[in-house]
Amino acid sequence: MSYIELKGISYKYPVGDEKVLKDISLSLEKGKVYALIGANGAGKTTICNLIRGFIPHFFKGDLDGEMLIEGRDIREWEMGDLAQKMGYIFQNPFTQISGTKDTVFEEIAFGLENLRVEVPVIKERVAEIIKLFGLESLQEKNPQQLSGGQRQRVSLASIMVMDPEILIIDEPTSQLDPQATEEVFKIINIMKQRGKTIILVEHKIELIAEYADRVILVEDGKVAMKGKTKDILSDIKAMDHGILLPQYALLGYEMQKNDRLHEIPVTESEAIGVFTKWMAGKEN
Amino acid sequence: MEKKNVILSLYPTTKLLMILLIAVSVFIIPSYLYAYAMFLVCLVIAAMGNVTKEFANLTIKGLFSLCILIFVLQSFFYPGTHVLWEWGFLAIKQEGIHFGLTLTSKVIAVGSSLILFFRITPVKDFVYSLEVMGLSPKATYVVLSTLTIIPEMKKSSQVIMDAQKTRGVETEGSLMVRLKALLPMITPLVLSSVASTEERAMALEARAFTVNKRKTSIYSIEKTGRDSFIRVLLLVLLILLIVWRVAL
Amino acid sequence: MKRGLKHDFSLIAIMLIPIGVGLNVAIAQLVQILRLPIWLDAIGTIVAAMVAGPWVGLVTGGSTNLVKSIFTPTELPFALSSMAIGFTVGMLSKKGMFKNFGKTIVSCLIVTVIAVLISTPIIVWVYGGISGSSASAMTAVLLASGQRLVQAVITSMGLLELIDKSTSVILAYIIVNKMSDRYLSKHNYTQSFIKSNKKSKVA
Repeated sequence: MSYIELKGISYKYPVGDEKVLKDISLSLEKGKVYALIGANGAGKTTICNLIRGFIPHFFKGDLDGEMLIEGRDIREWEMGDLAQKMGYIFQNPFTQISGTKDTVFEEIAFGLENLRVEVPVIKERVAEIIKLFGLESLQEKNPQQLSGGQRQRVSLASIMVMDPEILIIDEPTSQLDPQATEEVFKIINIMKQRGKTIILVEHKIELIAEYADRVILVEDGKVAMKGKTKDILSDIKAMDHGILLPQYALLGYEMQKNDRLHEIPVTESEAIGVFTKWMAGKEN
Repeated sequence: MEKKNVILSLYPTTKLLMILLIAVSVFIIPSYLYAYAMFLVCLVIAAMGNVTKEFANLTIKGLFSLCILIFVLQSFFYPGTHVLWEWGFLAIKQEGIHFGLTLTSKVIAVGSSLILFFRITPVKDFVYSLEVMGLSPKATYVVLSTLTIIPEMKKSSQVIMDAQKTRGVETEGSLMVRLKALLPMITPLVLSSVASTEERAMALEARAFTVNKRKTSIYSIEKTGRDSFIRVLLLVLLILLIVWRVAL
Repeated sequence: MKRGLKHDFSLIAIMLIPIGVGLNVAIAQLVQILRLPIWLDAIGTIVAAMVAGPWVGLVTGGSTNLVKSIFTPTELPFALSSMAIGFTVGMLSKKGMFKNFGKTIVSCLIVTVIAVLISTPIIVWVYGGISGSSASAMTAVLLASGQRLVQAVITSMGLLELIDKSTSVILAYIIVNKMSDRYLSKHNYTQSFIKSNKKSKVA
């Protein structure tokens, strides 16, 4: 039994005639990082909404096929159980702060209060997450006064404190500068190390090469390619689906034209390995 | 710590009862002198709570100017026969002055007690006490998030205004020009903020907002013995006021 | 269509309440910066009511005045008229009175009448005819010219409210029609604004 499984999923919003998802089948394993890539409007966010159960619990429309979490159909899950099972981070840093709390500490505690966790336990868990994410300097600040990047880290902490098994992260850095992006990905990496299953929508392909285990390429509501990150991001065919490969891979292909590389690298460390080997071959 | 303050440290509903008694009492005792005295009572409480400056500012700006207007209008136009002063068709009448004093005294007493309440009670504490009494967390959310959204929205309207100006929307000049600027200013503001409600709703859902009717709260305030004492005192005062009114 | 209040107050509709209040305040501020002789302080309420119905409209209107009264307590009594405006617009939306521009103009008149009917007694009873708004000066002039109080308040209010509420309703109508079908479909009172509905009716 797969951890998360989509079987022949098709979906249409209540208005408009076109299906946004067309016969999608996916099987996701526990503890892996999955990156959803593809052009805007391809259906990535819709897939996220579906896995989290916002479709069909929150969005109406026509849903065909089976969407199973731990073998149980999404329609049978209670919203409360889904909230604990799966965390969801949205792209806009400004809509995720509850707007009802005076301090970052209280903001992070909000989800646990809603789950009726006892107060001493909440305080302990919030303090723990603040330490883990390095948010000590922000904890007494008003969430309204934080920068976009700080808010996004607080949002991640606010979700992670609820200790979900699955984490859905929809373009967390699209509105952030490079430094804030790096901070957010440090946190995502901590989550990966903790064995969380992560579904990540992200356009920065270098970051995907670095952090994802599997890549799912979505195009026009269908799965165009899927597989190991290395295999997909070094496959020139991905370019046909509107994906720009990592620079190292592009460089690799450029070099392939004249010389033989033993493989196409996708991350920095792979590139160093491949090119060092290539140079050594040249010298011999 | 400010929490030690005699007034500020009272439980929110105790403060509310106190303010309600002040506001209601001006309808029990009809004299305008009494109602004006209630303004002084508010002022004393404000002083005890160290909020005199804010209290005075808001009452002067929001209440006094309006009340002077009301008073002048009533003294001139309230129907009456005891003319005190006349100039052309304008005449100040005894009845008008009396009515003006009565009306403004009540507006000032009720208005200043309301201003006082929100100066000595953080809204957060107030809704906390209401939630303890059974107010739905959704209502609490609406109240608290409204107060944080307003300044954010004012900021983004400023941003939109600047952006539209650089794109050539005229904001100075004749009435027609300024009127034309309105639609390009408010359309993006309304559309973007309304569209954000979808993500706001899902973000709350992601934090289990609708899972339980009641929640725990790491923030808490508690009633003390002083609260009970003051509540009894307020009840006694209310009875005395009613007795006074009947005896009059 | 018996669905009750719980149906009206869906989570996304509840989110519209603070947004509506915020819009009321922010737009009123913008109007001041542009030095326009109207208030337009109910567009948020009207948008919320058009999209999410009479009860959400009523709460948005009421909340606006509650929030304002934290700093300006004299606004509190007018919560009643704000609530009435929100409720009325919501009912009109339910009855399809924003289907086209012609019906919207009729709705403007209805909203104005309701606003004047509710505000006048408040101004007369609570403030003796003067509420400090720009209508007050006109009221005073009319009184000076010998009109009776209630009449003076209704005349001055009526004229200003007609301009103000009509502008507000028309602006709200234009903007709600610009919202995407996908967004509108998540609310309960948007049938007459969804474009694909309009098209299919023509066909």
